[in-house]
Order: sequence, then C-alpha cells, then structure tokens
Amino acid sequence: MADQNKADTGESLYNEILSPSELFAARSRSHKVPVRGQKDFFPDGSEEQRQRLEQSLNEHWSLISEERVERLGSLVKGAWIPNDQVVELQSPAGKFWQTMGFSASGKQCLLPEEALYLMECGNLQVFYKDLPLSIQDGYERFLSSNTVGLQQYLVFGHLKRLGYVVHRFDPSSEPSAYARQLNLPQSSARAGRQLKRKRSASPTPTPSSSHTEAQEECTSVRMEEDSCSYEGEKDKDLPVSQLTASRETSKVHTATTSTAAEGRGSTWWRTDVLGDWGHRSDHSSTSGSSCWDFSSIHFPDLGSREHLPSCLASPDPSLLPGALAVGVCDTAPWRQRINLRKVRMSSKEQKREEDKRRRRRDVNKDREVQRCRNWAEYQELLVRRQSRRKGRPAHLWNREVMPLHDPTQPVSTGELLDKISVIKSTTLLEEASRIKGSDEWKISFNVYQPDSVADFKKSNPGKPYARMCVCSFENPVPDLRAMKLLAFQSGDIPVVFAVVDHGDISFYTFKDFQLPTDVYL
Amino acid sequence: MAAEGVEKVSDDAPAAGKVSTRYDLEKETELRFEVEAGEAAEQVELELIVGMAEVFGSELNRNRKYTFGPGSKIAVFTWQGCSVNLYGKPEVAYVSKDTPMLLYLNTHAALEQMRKQAERDNERGPRVMVVGPTDVGKSTVCRLLLSYAVRVGRRPTLVELDVGQSGVSVPGTVSALCIERPADVEEGFSVQAPLVYHFGSTTPGTNIKLYNKLTSCLAEVFSQRCEVNRKASVGGCIINTCGWVKGSGYQALVHCASAFQVDVVLVLDHERLYNELKRDLPHFVRVVLLPKSGGVVERSKECRRETRDEKIREYFYGFRGVSFYPFSFEVRFSDVRIYKIGAPSIPDSCLPLGMSQDDTQLKLVPVTPGRDLTYHVLSVSSVEDGDEGARKSIVESPVCGFIVVTYVDTQAQVMKVLSPAPRPLPRHTLLIMDIRFMDMK
Repeated sequence: MADQNKADTGESLYNEILSPSELFAARSRSHKVPVRGQKDFFPDGSEEQRQRLEQSLNEHWSLISEERVERLGSLVKGAWIPNDQVVELQSPAGKFWQTMGFSASGKQCLLPEEALYLMECGNLQVFYKDLPLSIQDGYERFLSSNTVGLQQYLVFGHLKRLGYVVHRFDPSSEPSAYARQLNLPQSSARAGRQLKRKRSASPTPTPSSSHTEAQEECTSVRMEEDSCSYEGEKDKDLPVSQLTASRETSKVHTATTSTAAEGRGSTWWRTDVLGDWGHRSDHSSTSGSSCWDFSSIHFPDLGSREHLPSCLASPDPSLLPGALAVGVCDTAPWRQRINLRKVRMSSKEQKREEDKRRRRRDVNKDREVQRCRNWAEYQELLVRRQSRRKGRPAHLWNREVMPLHDPTQPVSTGELLDKISVIKSTTLLEEASRIKGSDEWKISFNVYQPDSVADFKKSNPGKPYARMCVCSFENPVPDLRAMKLLAFQSGDIPVVFAVVDHGDISFYTFKDFQLPTDVYL
Repeated sequence: MAAEGVEKVSDDAPAAGKVSTRYDLEKETELRFEVEAGEAAEQVELELIVGMAEVFGSELNRNRKYTFGPGSKIAVFTWQGCSVNLYGKPEVAYVSKDTPMLLYLNTHAALEQMRKQAERDNERGPRVMVVGPTDVGKSTVCRLLLSYAVRVGRRPTLVELDVGQSGVSVPGTVSALCIERPADVEEGFSVQAPLVYHFGSTTPGTNIKLYNKLTSCLAEVFSQRCEVNRKASVGGCIINTCGWVKGSGYQALVHCASAFQVDVVLVLDHERLYNELKRDLPHFVRVVLLPKSGGVVERSKECRRETRDEKIREYFYGFRGVSFYPFSFEVRFSDVRIYKIGAPSIPDSCLPLGMSQDDTQLKLVPVTPGRDLTYHVLSVSSVEDGDEGARKSIVESPVCGFIVVTYVDTQAQVMKVLSPAPRPLPRHTLLIMDIRFMDMK
C-alpha cells in the first residue's frame, strides 16, 4: 500500500498542476467502491479462487493509489503541531467547523482524528515543517496509542461517514455519582469550557493569548468557583437543616425521631443512656437462668392460704424508699376483700369459660414442665412439643441441607417465588460505583445523532445519543465488571461496543432488563 | 372512713378566696379526694404543712401547692402522719384508714429483694406483670411500684400495654419507658424518649394478632436493652396490661408473660384470674393476688373517652395545654403513604392454599386518602422512606410521632394536619388509627 502511494505523492509534488484533460478524467472517474463479495474461509488451492483474490486485491490497490484531485481553493490549510498533538488551522475553517475542532488561545485547532478524516474527505491539507503531508503520513503521524489508535479512528471515520457527530469522551466532564444522585443542574457551558481548557493545556502554552480570551478565561474560572462554593454551601446547608429539623422534632415529639436511623429503630433505645453503667456483663444475664427462691422472698399473696402468715412481718427498712420503718401487717381482713370488682359475663361466656376450665389442665402437673427451671427451658420445651405435634418429618430439618420451605409456615406466593430464585437478579448499575477504573476498557467517543447536526453547538452539545467503546475481535469479550464500570461512567446514556474486525465494524450493546414476575406484592 | 381532725379555716385563704380545709392524717392513713369533672369545675390545690406524705409513691414537698385539674382522683398517703391543706372545693374528700398500701409496700420490698439478688448474682431483675379487670388500680399500682423502685435507686422500665388508657403516649399505642425519676405529683412520669409502637385502636380485641406481635416486639427490644445496660437489667420491668381478662384477652396475658419471661404476676382483686394464671403459667412464675384499694373509682365510658382525648391534647399542646405549640400545615397526598394494619377478614375458602386467616391481621392495607380521613390520628412510622423492602417491617417499626388530619381537600389532593413539629414530616409512611381527635378547645 505504501510504496505506490508514496511514489504518487512524490510525483504530484512536481506536477501539482494538472492538465485540463487529466482534470476531466479525474472528474469523470467512477466513484464506485469495489464489491467485496462473499468471504472465503480457507484456501481451497483452486486456480479460480486465486484469480478471484488477485483481482479483488488489484482493485483495492488501484483504489488506494488513486490520486485525489481537489480544488486548491477549497482546501483548508493546517499545520501539524506534534507537541500538542493537534492540527492548527492557518486558513478559515470550512463548514465542518460546526461539529469539529476547538479554539484554544485564539487559534482554531483540530484533533488528529478529525484532521485525518478531513484529509481523507479532501477538505484539509496539513503541512508539517512547511511540507504537505500525504494521507499515509497522516495515518502514521496522527494515530498513536495516546491520542486515538487505528481501531478508534476506523470507528470514528465510519460513524462520521454515516453522518453522526462524534466527539472524544472526557470522563472528568461527567457528573459524579453523587452529583447525579442529587440531580444537580449540570451547567453544560461550564462542562464545555472545562473540556476546552483541558485540551488547551498544552505543555508549551502559547503566550500570544489575547486579552479578551484571558478575560473570558478569568470569568469562567470565577464562575466555576462560584458554582463550586454554591455547591459547597448546599452541601453544608443540607445536613445542618436536617439537624435542626431533627432537633426540633425530637424536642417536640415525645417519641423517637430521626435518631432511629436503623431499620428497626430500636438500637438507640438499647444504648446505655445512663452512662455510668457502661460495662457490659459478660455473663448471660438475659438467658433467664435466674432461679428465684420464693421461699425466702415474701410476697403478700392473698391467694395462697397455707403460705401466707396471718401477720406479715415488717419489711427490711433497707429495701424501702426513704428508709421507712413500718409495722407488721395483718392480712386477715384483706382476704375478705377480694373480688370486689365484679366482671360481668354473659351466661354464654360463663358456660364457655366453665367448659374450658374443665378441659384445661394445670400445666404444672406435667413432669417435664416441672423439670423446667426457667422460661428459656420452658419455651424450648413448648417448641419441641409443637414441632412434634405438627408431625413434620424432623429428620429433614436436622441435617445441613434443609428443605427450602417448611410447608407449615404460611407464606405468600411472592415470597415463595423469591425463595426459589436461587440466582438473584441484578441491575447493571448495582454496586458499580465501587468498581475501580481500569485502563483496558474505556469509552472513546460521544456520538450525537445526524439529525441534530443542523442546530448542533460544540459549546453545548447536549446529551449524546450513545457512547462508543472501541474494541477488537481479537480482544476478549468485556466481562461483567467492565460492563458495569462503563455503564456507571456513562450514566443514563447507553454504551455501544464498536467491535473492529480488521476493516469491518459491528456494534453491540448490552441492555438492562428485568425478568418478569408473576406476582406483585 | 374516719374524718377526724378536720377543721375549716376559711379566713386565711390566700388563693383568691378559695376555701381552705386542713386535714390531719394519722399514721398509715390516706386522704382521698376527687375534683369535680367538667369544664367549669374549680381546680383544687394541695399543700403539705407538717410531716411527710406521698401521692402514688411520689413524695410531696412541704409548703408547695400542687394543683389538680377537673376529674382528678387523688389519694394522699402518709406513713408517719401529717397535716395537709386543701384549697378549693373538692367533690369528695375523706380520710381512710383502710388502705392496702402496706401490702403494696411489702410487694415492693419483695421485688427489691429480688433486685438485690440480681445485682449480687449478676442476673436480671424481676419482670413484673400487673393484671386485673378494669378499674382496680393497675396503673396506680404500677406507678407506685415504679416510684418506689426509683426512690431506692433503681432504673426500672414501664411497659405500657394498655392501648385504651396509655400512661405514656397517645391511646392506641403500646410503649415502653425507662423510668429515671419518681412520677411528678401532677403530671405523672416524665416522658422522654419512649419506645412507641402503633396499634391503632383502643381495645386489643380489634386485632389481637397485632397486639401479641407488638408485645413480642417490645419484649425483644427490652431484652436487647437489658443485654447492654446492666442497670436496666437489674431494674427489671413493670408491665401494665389492659383490663380485658377473658377469652383472647386472657390469651394475650399468657402470651405477654411468655414473651417477657415474667417472674412475678400481680393479680389485682380477681381470684379466678389468679387461679387460671397459676394453672397456665409454669411453676417458676410467682403469681400474687393483691387486693384493690377502696379508693379506686369506677370510670364510665365517657370518662374514659375524655381521658383519651385529654391525652392526645396533651401530646400536641403539653400538660394542661400550655407548654407546646403545634404546627398546622398541608400535606400532599402524593407525598405520603397511608396504611392501615389489618385487612378485613376473608372466608377461609377464598384464601390461597396454605394461607391462614391470621395473616390478614398483620397485613398492610393502603388507604386512599379521602374525606373520611378527617380527624383521624395518624402515626408517623420511623421506617425509612423509599425503602420498598422495609414495607414488611412497618408493623414492627416504632413510631416517630403523631399527627391529626384536620381537613381534607380532595380537589387539591391535600390534607391539613396538626403536627408537633413544623413541616416537612420526618418520614412519609403514615399509619391510620381508629381513634379520632377534634381540636376544639
């Protein structure tokens, strides 16, 4: 490819001016691109195939080596500045300026891929060290791994030819996840400017920046600061107002307020409000292991005839408030004064109660209950009995692998379906914010729809139609991590994977969808 | 009844010509008086002149006037003997020698003995459930025992399960309150940071399943608190129940005993209940039968409703309606989600297989806001907004506060609410109560 092309351009240096007949020939040349035909997958060794291949190759070579004839007047001149990796325009830009290029320190510049594309279209002539560059030179000089690679350029060119507006993607111009969550009004002008400055921040800043430009820069900086401080204020403001609100509510509400941030809202209540008793007992004091000896703790129980002495001894003053000393208490008259308050019962109720009483037997007659010393043991016993009564096959439940659901437990259908779904569904953006960025996968371009070209503004491009991630068929397929990362970076704009197979480009995209559920609860 | 030592001293009436009556109480007697109910009734003031006396366990300060509003029923008890002055004209006032205070004091002594043992052995303190029919003085006994416990330096917890006449929060709720100082003679226990759950009705019978569920919730949170707070653990708790002692009400009592793992059950004035509980609770639970005080007055339905209203008013306007100033603002229907707990029951044959009827009692039913919402009390659930997964836990989440709907505009899709705090609402999940409150005073 290289030799012929070079020879051609070399020649054209000497006879740049073509004769009218040559020009006419160039004009009337067929613009048809050779048909590629069906793809042969392996050589079958036949003469026919060889010939076909050769013919096709020749057609391509001749197409590439063809001389590009353009009117010199319609060519825009530009100079390649390798340090900045940009092409600086030296004559007024053409119509392409609406969607391409940027101005930096008073100069109109093009990004290398834009320059290369315009060169290929025959709109631009780029000079380097005052010599014009051929298209091949452009490919060699402009495309590099730290600007735009060949694959990216192929995608760029392809989309441009289809009419899309394609810009480089700058991750820093994207609102952060936090900003997105807050739904901050994105000042797009600011983002645009930021973009510009970033590009213009060349290692060798041109000192010839005009006064107005500097002023503009200055105001934009101030604007940015303003908006920053505004955001800061907002941030500061928010928790404060919340705080005051919660303080007020907690003052007035007698109940819990926003302190109950936990789901159950009970933890605050548990925490030690007294402070002086901070130490936590290592002893399991709540297990209910307490076994009170009620023979030494005397309750004035009027119900038990045998245990209650007719005369209560005076209680130990140390147990009483204000170290009261009281006398003995005669219980006998109080025994007569029980059931003073009558509970009205209908005859039906009375009968039912009577019935129940006859059927019911004292739980304490049971020997197992008698053996229980506290509530924990008693409740355990009850649970054991209940499970026995229910008659569910116990052996299924005492192994490591248990049935998914206990049929005796009532659950709704939705819950049951939820239990059955072993693999939980996930969304693309779930936990994506925690994934660290990677160098392997990155979004290259913002793509805007062709129909928006008419009123397209570079300073305010609006929301892209899609974002392109360029990859090759030789590379591995993006894994879930990469997809989540890119989807998170892109926000609500779909990410399209442009997969380059040598010359062919195919587009793939991953869409988030939800599995339908039958039951809504 | 003995009314000796009563002398009228009407001439030195300092409080705007109020009649002053002096009572000299003997040791272990009490002065009971009732203030007339109704709007126009005169307040009665009480002053301790000589000696020491207490009102439901809280000691009186000497030479300080305590004011009691209409409908108050007060008993001033003295252990050693004292003299008090009453200013104003009480409906009834008499001195009684017949009080079960000694028995109650003995009960306190026994509980204190248990707390001492708990402290020594690093165990948990006594958990006491007070049961009995209505109007036997359950709440008063609770207040008495709690005040005594605080006065000997304990930090007990009051668990209020009486949804009809809650002493802690508005009616229709169950709550728990850590008691750190004796009850105020006039106002009762100071309510600071209680744990309140929404029940929604004034009788547990409307949704017994929910009632039991909330009892379990409270028990669980109380146990968790005991685990981290040694002092609360030793202090134990005193559970006040409602006066429903038959059928499901009785079952609820047994469930409560089991959920809280109570150690002592105090049965007031109901021998049959005492015998039933002895039979149905395991042997390590001490069931104690106590008499009711002769001073306890039966309250009528109207009286109960008035107390409920007063309690709600107190929530919004403060004690005697003077300390708080509630806010009134509009809330858009679209900003809040209103639920009612418990769906109407469906015949079993209409239910899916394996579902039992009980499930509907805990179900959340969305309420479409309409004019019938007016005057209803709504609880603001502390459940996080937006969290769909938390919807299930709304029932088991405590309440942030309460609002009352004062006006519903269906056209503009807004309702006007009375709220203790300015807008916005702290949370947007609201639970509707059956209880209505009209802000008329």
